[in-house]
Amino acid sequence: MTENEEFYLRYYVGHKGKFGHEFLEFEFRPDGKLRYANNSHYKKETMIRKEVYVTEAVLKELRRIIEQSDIMKEDDSRWPEPDKTGRQELEIVLGNEHISFATTKIGSLLDVQNSEDPNGLRNFYYLVQDLKCFVFSLISLHFKIKPI
Amino acid sequence: MEDRMQVVVSETSKGEERGRGRGIGAAMDVDEEGRYTGKGGVFERLGTDRDGSGPQKCKKSVFGLYYLCGLAVEGYILIACNLHEECTEEDIYDKFSELGEVKNIHLNLDRRTGFTKGYALIEYQHFKEAQSAIEALNGAELHDRLLEVSWAFSRGPLGTRLSTRRRSEK
Repeated sequence: MTENEEFYLRYYVGHKGKFGHEFLEFEFRPDGKLRYANNSHYKKETMIRKEVYVTEAVLKELRRIIEQSDIMKEDDSRWPEPDKTGRQELEIVLGNEHISFATTKIGSLLDVQNSEDPNGLRNFYYLVQDLKCFVFSLISLHFKIKPI
Repeated sequence: MEDRMQVVVSETSKGEERGRGRGIGAAMDVDEEGRYTGKGGVFERLGTDRDGSGPQKCKKSVFGLYYLCGLAVEGYILIACNLHEECTEEDIYDKFSELGEVKNIHLNLDRRTGFTKGYALIEYQHFKEAQSAIEALNGAELHDRLLEVSWAFSRGPLGTRLSTRRRSEK
């Protein structure tokens, strides 16, 4: 793992329902720019758009979390397709590897167990939670907001 | 499409690199109305008084009057990495409060194992305290591991920051 290898991460989760297109999306760009978007129309909530630059130390920790998760070895071909319940997208560029996965929303580990690729989907499921947790901490500490 | 976030990827992913997943090749164009059009494309960013190197202050948690009095309550956020999985918030607090008043700690857990994920975010109110914590604790030992402590936020893009370059040359 070098500090200069190519890196990009984007995660999206959302659905379209009676409150319109509600989604949460964040991305880390190679230059350290973290962008965070949260669109919720529930009870007239407004959309939240935040961006801030993080340091190399934060990107390095993020890469460590990704590498530890083994997500780059997975494949979404046997994961449930995005559907009416919703859609998740995870796109990562790490060195010369590039994944861009899409699947439906996962309610709980039960959905994972019942899928065709429980091991792969479980890796995805936990990684997404760890990523969200990291991003929510960064955004809430920097902007003094509670992002969810 | 232009308004969506993965614009950067289409630039970086050209070349021979092989991608995997439903989103490769086929654009994930599910939102015909666009996620980032109009007001949706405006991202809030805290003001930067100068560009380039240096840590970025976080937002004031109280209204702006304090700022005018010079009593800004903005904080400075550090990230500490390479933590032992059994590291507790108290361990972090004890270590970091020696250098100044710690306003906030986020010690997140690994969702799979329930243990500490390996990093902590620490907020100090004062720049000097945060700076001295980096100097004192980066490389210090905690649970037989060497702490990696640095700023979490920066005022601008990574390429322009000299401090990173200097560190990686070591």
